[in-house]
Parts: sequence; C-alpha cells; structure tokens
Amino acid sequence: MKTLSKLLLAISFAISVTTSAFAVTAVSWGGAYTESQKLGYGDPTGKALGITINWVDYSGGLSEIKAQKEAGKITWDIIDVFAMDTINGCDEGLFVEFDFDKDFPPAPDGTPASKDFFTAMPSKCAVGNILYSWNYAYNKNNVKGTPKTIKDFFNTKKFPGKRAIYKGALTNLEIALAADGIKPGKGGAKIYKALNTEKGVDRAMNKIKELCTDPKGGCVFWSAGAQPPELLVSGEVVMATGWNGRFFNAEIGEGAPIVQVWDGQGLDYEYFVQVKGGPNDANGMAKKALAMMTSTEMLAGSAKYIAYAPWRKSSIAIMEAGEPWYKDGKTNMVPQMPTAPQNTKNYFLVDPIFWADNGTELGEKWEAMKAGL
Amino acid sequence: MSSETQKILTTDGIPLEVSLKKAERRNKIKAFLLVAPLLLFLIITYVFPIGDMLMRSVDDKMVTEMLPKTFKAMEKWDGKELPEEEVFEAFYLDFRQLVDEKREGKLSTQLNYTKNGFKSIIKKLRRKSKNFEEGNYKEQIMAVHKRWADVEYWKAIKRRAPAYTSQKYLKGMDMFKNENGEIVSVSEDRRIHRILWLRTLEIAFFVTLFCFLMAYPIAHLLATLPMKYSNLLMICVLLPFWTSLLVRTASWMILLQQQGVVNDFFVGIGLVADDARPEMMYNKTGTYVAMTQILLPFMVLPLYSVMKTISPSLMRAGKSLGGTPIVAFWKVYFPLTIPGIGAGCLLCFILAIGYYITPALVGGASGTLISNQIAFHMKSTLDWSFASAMGLMLLAGVLAIYWVYNKLVGIDNIKLG
Repeated sequence: MKTLSKLLLAISFAISVTTSAFAVTAVSWGGAYTESQKLGYGDPTGKALGITINWVDYSGGLSEIKAQKEAGKITWDIIDVFAMDTINGCDEGLFVEFDFDKDFPPAPDGTPASKDFFTAMPSKCAVGNILYSWNYAYNKNNVKGTPKTIKDFFNTKKFPGKRAIYKGALTNLEIALAADGIKPGKGGAKIYKALNTEKGVDRAMNKIKELCTDPKGGCVFWSAGAQPPELLVSGEVVMATGWNGRFFNAEIGEGAPIVQVWDGQGLDYEYFVQVKGGPNDANGMAKKALAMMTSTEMLAGSAKYIAYAPWRKSSIAIMEAGEPWYKDGKTNMVPQMPTAPQNTKNYFLVDPIFWADNGTELGEKWEAMKAGL
Repeated sequence: MSSETQKILTTDGIPLEVSLKKAERRNKIKAFLLVAPLLLFLIITYVFPIGDMLMRSVDDKMVTEMLPKTFKAMEKWDGKELPEEEVFEAFYLDFRQLVDEKREGKLSTQLNYTKNGFKSIIKKLRRKSKNFEEGNYKEQIMAVHKRWADVEYWKAIKRRAPAYTSQKYLKGMDMFKNENGEIVSVSEDRRIHRILWLRTLEIAFFVTLFCFLMAYPIAHLLATLPMKYSNLLMICVLLPFWTSLLVRTASWMILLQQQGVVNDFFVGIGLVADDARPEMMYNKTGTYVAMTQILLPFMVLPLYSVMKTISPSLMRAGKSLGGTPIVAFWKVYFPLTIPGIGAGCLLCFILAIGYYITPALVGGASGTLISNQIAFHMKSTLDWSFASAMGLMLLAGVLAIYWVYNKLVGIDNIKLG
C-alpha cells in the first residue's frame, strides 16, 4: 500500500512536471467569454498539440504584464487585449512582433492570412480573434413603436425615456456624430475625420449633452458589460448601448424582451498578443498554439458559444454550412454576427489609432462635460 | 564618602554604571532584533515602494536620453515660432537612431503623455523617414503630417528636456509649465483633475459624516445592551463585512434605481406619483448610500470598543449631580468617546478617499473620482509616472488631514480598541 501510494505520488509528480513544461498560459476577460474561447478553440488546440492551455482571468489593461516584465518574472504567454493595448504594448516592447503571413496559416482556399482577416491589424504585435459590436437595444415592452436607426436613439420626442450609455468617451462620440447626420463613410472614416477637428468633438459632446439634459431623455452611465441588459430588463432605461454578445445572451439565452438595433453600430475588436519572453516564447509553443487557435476552423468554434464574430472571413463559411451553429441547436448564428451583411449597412470601425492618439485628452474633455450635466 | 559612592563596583570589579549600561545595551539590541523582521518588512513593502513611486513621478531621464541632439539644438530656440532647420536635423538624427534600436514606440508613448496626437504622427514619420533625402529636413518632416508643422508640438517636445520634472504634479492640478517657465492652467474644457479632487474630498467627507451619525447610536446600543442581544446585533453589523463588495453594490442598485424595489414601494403606498419617481441611484445620492453602508463597520467597531470601556456609573453620577440626561451625555459621555470618534472618522475618511469601484457603478455622471483616474493611467495609458504623482498627492492629502487632526485633537487620543 505504501509503495503504491509512493508510486502514485511519483507518477503524479512526473505528470505535473511534463504538463507544466508544455502548459501555455492564456489570459482573458473571464466569464462566458473565456468559456467560449476555452471550449471553442482553447481545448481543441491543446488536444491537437498535446499541450495544456490554462486560462487565467484578468480585468484588462497592461499594468500586470508590465509589472511582470519589470520584476523579471513573466508568467503569461498569450493575452486577449483591446486594440489600444496592442499598440501601446507593442510600442513598449512587451509583445512579440509577427511576420503575419508566415506566422499564421492561410484560409482553407489558400488566401493568405493577412487577406483573410476582416481588416488590417492595428500593430505588428496583434492577431485578431473576435469582432464585437457596440450597438444599441431597446425593451420592446417599454417602447411604443420600433426604433430602427441610430437617430432614433437620440430622438426623445418619438421615444421618450432614459438611455444608458457607456461611461467613457469611447464610441459615444462616434454614435453621436452618426446620429447627428454624418454618414460614417467607408469604415467610419468620415466620422474620425470630423473627430480630428475641435469642431467635430464639440458637436459630438453637445449631442450627448443634449440627450442627457433633455427632461424627456436623460442618461444612465454604465461601466460593466452586464449592466445594459439589466438596465433594460428592469425598466430603468428604455434604450441602452452595449456589447452585442451581452444583448444576445439576454435575448436568446434568457428570453428577455429586448431587441437589438444595428444601425450606426461600432465594430470593435479583440486581439491576441504573444508576450515577449513569456515561458513558452523561446520553445515556440506559444506561437504554435496561437497560430492554431486563430485558424479558420478554430475561430468559428467560439461562435458556437457566444455571439461574437470570428475575425477570419473564411470562418463564416464554416458556420453557414453548420447552421444552426449556436450550442442550443436551433439558433442560426450568422445573422447574429456583427459582421453579417444586414448588420453592416451603416457602421463604423472603432479606430484604435485615433483613440491611442487622443484617448487621454478626449477622456478629460468628456469628464468635464459630464461634470457639467 | 562621595568618591566611594561613585565607584560602586560589581563583584567582578567592573564599575556598576558600565555594567548596567552594557546590560541595557544588550537588551536594546535584543529588542531591536525582535522588531527587526517587522521593520525590514515595512521598509520593503512600504518605504521602498513609496520611494520608488516618488522617483518615478519626477524622473524624466528617458526622454532626455532619447533625444540628446534635439534638446541641445533646442537650447537656443526661443519657443515662439517654429524652430530652425538645425533642430529638425537633430531631431531627425535622434529619431533614426531610435528607429534602428526599435525604441521610437516608447518615444511616441512618452510624447503622447505631454501632448495628445504624437502617437500617429511618429508612426507616420517612421514610415516616411526611411525615404528621406539628405538636407532640408524641416520641409521633409513638416510634409509628413500637418501636426509636425504646428509649433505646439515642438513646444511639447521641449518641455520634456529636463531630466527631472514637476510636470506630472502640475498636470494633476490641471496646470503646466510653459516654454517660458511660467506655470499656467490648461484650457478650461480640460480642467478635470481639480473637479475630481474636490469631488473625491466631498464624497469622502460626507460619507464619513453619515457613517458617524449612523454608527454612534448603533455602537452605543451595542455597548449598553446585555451580552446576548448585543452579540446578535454585532453579527448584524459584521455580516456585510463578509459579503462581497460587488454584491453589496449591486443590491443597492436593484433596491434604489428608479424602477427599483424602494421606488416601487413608495409608489405602492401612494407617497410619490408613478411618473415622478425620485432618482436615488446613478447620482451622488447613490454613492453616499452605498459607500456609507460599506464603510459603516469601520466606524462602529472603534466606537464600540471605546464605549465598552466607559463605566455606566459615570452617566449615573452625572445625572445625580444634577445634570439632565442631555447635559450628562454631552459633558460626561461624549468627551470620553472622542478617541473612538477620531479613530473611526480617520479610518472611514482614508478608506473613502481611495474608493473607486462602487462610485463608478452607482455614481452615474459623478461616478469618476481621482482613484479612477489613477487606475486609468496605471492600466490603460501606462503613464505610471503620472499615476504615481497623483497617488503621492493623495497620500500627501491624507497626511495633511492626519496632521490637522493631530493639531486639533491629538493623535495620542486615538483608540482603535
């Protein structure tokens, strides 16, 4: 008995040593999102490569990885980050720069990776993972009529009631201009052109201010992604901007009486970056895992669990062939994708370079505007 | 006689005085060794990080080293019109060097802190500068982007010349030192930090006040009730302590929002009309309610521990000497609780001044406090030196309050238990 237990101990130790040697640590936002990543492509990739991919939660930002680097002990391999963080982290030298078409596999039809992805990457260190949308939704029990456009979100005469908007300036300025009559143009180029001038920024701020001080309107500022559907369902607000995956979960997953509107939506992205000097950087395992996780088939996998669109155009074909793609076995996922043709009639791509450039200053102006409400 | 007393010797012939001093010194060393681990711990976890923060907030050597030629050429520049060709040339040479070392990204981040808009124009300059022809760099750089032809951006570069700087502290007060060395305020629509400092102080002050007003009767009740009731009450006070902060915050949101439980109740009993529900959430009221509830135990516990030591007979004596209950309370009981009040108020205030998750969730438009700003610069912009500067300003504020308290009440009077 004693020898047996010793043997078991030795075996478990040996296993733990071998697995930890090839355990890639991926860091992401947690909750349903990480679950979709783990089930959609994390576990299949790990199985195919014979390694373990451990998922660790964090709350965004680069402070932790910067601290790890400064302390000289990096424990993370792959991080799921916002566009702005890929730019800042790449500039700081925290992440590995990719040779995109060499490091990432082409689409099944042979299209090189750089052509298969929805747009170009904001920095050399980024590889796209999902696209999500900042769209808006309303509670159909509390709104008379059907809001259809982004202008309706600001139309308090026709649709009176409070609105919930994001607490920061990000995307609020864009939708304000879209609602104020600026046609976004290709990928929102015209909106950002306007926001590059002081006049444009003032125009956007005034539009928001008007909505928030309107006695028939008014604003609730949300800070956590779970808030917008909650605020809609409780009747606290009649319309809310938010992330489409959260609205989808409330609508399809929980049967809440909310309807999404895609006009004037802002497409935003999540990226993976690989940490320079991470535990599996030198042995190439991190890059190998990352390349597989962002391949056509793997990216499509995550959309089984959450309504965020895979970055690769070729992934959509796999989903279409497999409809109903959602895990409940009866919901078609392609129309729920922020990139679906009927959802991208009037949209803008959130411009990470614009926000990396002007984020601090616009944030200050935004706070000053809010303080005057 | 006197000479003999001076020379009292111990049994082994050493003067008593020396022997005593020796023993005392040994004791002192022992005592020091006993606290040494703790002292070391404090130095490592407290003094060292704060010192590091201080250094970070004033150290600006990085940019100084990145653009040595530029700053040298800029010494002669008066900072009014666009600089001359030699500054552009020096900048170009420094910049090429940085591109070769792949450090131009760091420069763009640093300059972007001083003036927004540098990130993209430096990226653009990196792309275009590969094909620059020799000579006339001013024209070539200015052609890359119109911002390179804007004197404001060159002034911003010049401001980064000194190796040590107070700019981050000034920025925390919405001010900056312009190229003539004068300290001026930033434009009006960007003066956000002063608003945030005042808002933070205001919220911390009122939360402390509300905590005090609510905790005093509770603590008194706890201290005077018989043990079996007071234990139960104590558990009620401590229960929120064991609940997650986010859960407590979320429950307040459900209770107090306009379509929430409390408002539904008010409408149900006819206190308010259905279309005129009071707003108790997503504004300062929400912040006050949620934070007061969260910080209440920190006020109750010090008050309780002090009140517990006050003998009930003192109040009885006060009354029997002719005081009304109010006079007896005011003249006898209240002064005895001041150490507890001091401890509780300081504790609540210092905790409240650093809060940011709760206000961000329940505070609506007024939900941004100075700590949110610190977190933003720590996590998003990675401007750790600015975050450090604001952190130290916050620390200085707390120390100032501590000092005022010491002057007014005396710190020896504080009692936590």
